[in-house]
Amino acid sequence: MKFLTIAKKEVIDIFRDRRTIIMMVVVPLFLIPVLLGTVFKITKSMAEKASEKQLKVQIYGQEYAPDLYQAFADMNKVIILDQIPTDSIQSYIQQEFLDVAIHVDSDYKVNIAKNGQAKIRIQFKGTDSFGITKDRINGVLKKFENQIVSERMDRLNLKPEVVRAYNINYEDVASKQEKFGKIAGGWFPYVFIIFGFMGAMYPALDLGAGEKERGTLETILSSPASRLDIVLGKFLVVLLAAFLTAFLALGGMAVGIQRIPDIPPEVLIVINEVLNPKTIGLIMTLVLPVAAFFSAMLLGLSIYAKSFKEAQSIVAPLNIVIIFPAVIGTLPGMELNAITSLIPVLNVSLASKDIIAGVINPLYMAEVYMSLFGFAGLAIFWCVKMFNWEKTIFRS
Amino acid sequence: MIQVQNLIKDFSLNKKQRRELGEEYKNAKTLRAVDEISFECMPGKIFGLLGPNGAGKTTTLRMIATMLKPTKGTVTVSNYDSVVEGQKVREKIGFMTGQTALYDRLTPTEMVKYIGDLHGMSKEDFQSRKNHLFDILDMHEFADRRISRLSTGMKQKTSIARTIIHDPPIMIFDEPTSGLDVMTSRSIMDLIRSCREEGKTVIFSTHRMGEVNQVCDDIAIIYKGRFFYNDTLDQFKEEMTQPTFEDEFIYRVGEA
Repeated sequence: MKFLTIAKKEVIDIFRDRRTIIMMVVVPLFLIPVLLGTVFKITKSMAEKASEKQLKVQIYGQEYAPDLYQAFADMNKVIILDQIPTDSIQSYIQQEFLDVAIHVDSDYKVNIAKNGQAKIRIQFKGTDSFGITKDRINGVLKKFENQIVSERMDRLNLKPEVVRAYNINYEDVASKQEKFGKIAGGWFPYVFIIFGFMGAMYPALDLGAGEKERGTLETILSSPASRLDIVLGKFLVVLLAAFLTAFLALGGMAVGIQRIPDIPPEVLIVINEVLNPKTIGLIMTLVLPVAAFFSAMLLGLSIYAKSFKEAQSIVAPLNIVIIFPAVIGTLPGMELNAITSLIPVLNVSLASKDIIAGVINPLYMAEVYMSLFGFAGLAIFWCVKMFNWEKTIFRS
Repeated sequence: MIQVQNLIKDFSLNKKQRRELGEEYKNAKTLRAVDEISFECMPGKIFGLLGPNGAGKTTTLRMIATMLKPTKGTVTVSNYDSVVEGQKVREKIGFMTGQTALYDRLTPTEMVKYIGDLHGMSKEDFQSRKNHLFDILDMHEFADRRISRLSTGMKQKTSIARTIIHDPPIMIFDEPTSGLDVMTSRSIMDLIRSCREEGKTVIFSTHRMGEVNQVCDDIAIIYKGRFFYNDTLDQFKEEMTQPTFEDEFIYRVGEA
């Protein structure tokens, strides 16, 4: 039971470390909600700004389509320019002195009159925010086109069915929860996987390489505690830190979503339904073995390092190794199957997505647990080996 | 009592280490850090293990403390074999190095309690022993202050308290005064002497002859993993051909 004595001391020790507290509590619980809220606020205000922007439009060939010209002139927040020479249009648009140039073909009237197609060429800058410029211009053109089509049909005495042969009625049988899970569900595991890893990082470095650096390793190695006690005690504390950080990150996201401005109430209801204690509990059963895997791996690497600094440089590239499968899991089309459920990290990401969507396959879920506990067991075994290996423990 | 017989420790070498060690180790697979040494440390006596840096002192002490496994030979501590009964050995020893080896975020009380708990001390035993040590080391004033905020002297006192909290019959000091100022070094030397007075078995490694002269009863000089002197300090003094201990030590290391 000496491992419990070690774990108790390590808990006191790491919870007095400001870095651990910042990484474990402050970042997930306060920073995530603030960041989420801020990002959405900024996005919303930028979208509003873009839609309220005064569009600078020049219409070439306005004399061929005076009614169309008038329709643009009647648009809200539009300035019609008429001084820009044709050969300078491109550079004007690129430098954002002009937003849109509309070129009306000289045959416009003739083509419209004989029920043909009138050519209209539009030049704009596709990199403007949110594609709002194109949408606004398109809105006017569509409205105008519909009006012409409608007039033509009246003239030809045709019913709308002539041009719309199908009356399509889509009935989506996926529940709102399922849709939400498949679309946005991937980001939840992405966040708590990353945070679980980051939460384990500082304590693992401190309890392994930090102990070497302080010279306290000999103190503990010369105590009656066995190497297994030492590893287990330290491992449990790193695991606790990883698990808590992942859990708080999930909590932080739940709080953060509520802070998103103008979130449609029906979406909020779905999110709150999805993030119920049962779903969170089920996800946490996946977080536990993956956190154990991270903890043992990081602790083993940390004890190999000569110093805290070396440990940091060894562990830093691992971030990419963890982020990569977590990101893959967020991609649409990536599904949990017999193979993906065996790949650690990716399987947590995909399984969480399915749990959130409420469509988890129990067989795959069992496979995920098997894989995660298997990898966690191997990582712990390796970590104990590292502690028992003289070359590692006294590496200098 | 510590009994060491024909103790050997080989460390395997990797390519980089072979290159660093030079031509002599170009094709060597191992480096012999300790080469068949034998000695005994008796209760109530201080055994001084002398040698320059890299001679094999720390490796020897780490094998006694069960941190390293001998390649060959045996170490017996209070009649327990260091390989077979490692935990029993560790229950009997107190290990101290030059570094204070303390946890900065704990208080002296927590630090000492941690070691006491690892040694399975009962609450009552711990409390009375702690009070006794904190009295004689004058630690009460800073007992509940974080170690990171203590002075070097206070840290050294804490380090002493954590080493002897479980009242071990065997004390291992690995260059305990290295890097310390005169005042703090003196408190360590006092501790070593008091251990002898209490009848403990003490092994003490150093490369300072002056310290050996102050406290040791028996000495062994180790160089390149081998003993080339192992007898009483009095006998060493009798055999001296150089004017000072330091000169004699350097002379003998040069001869080896």
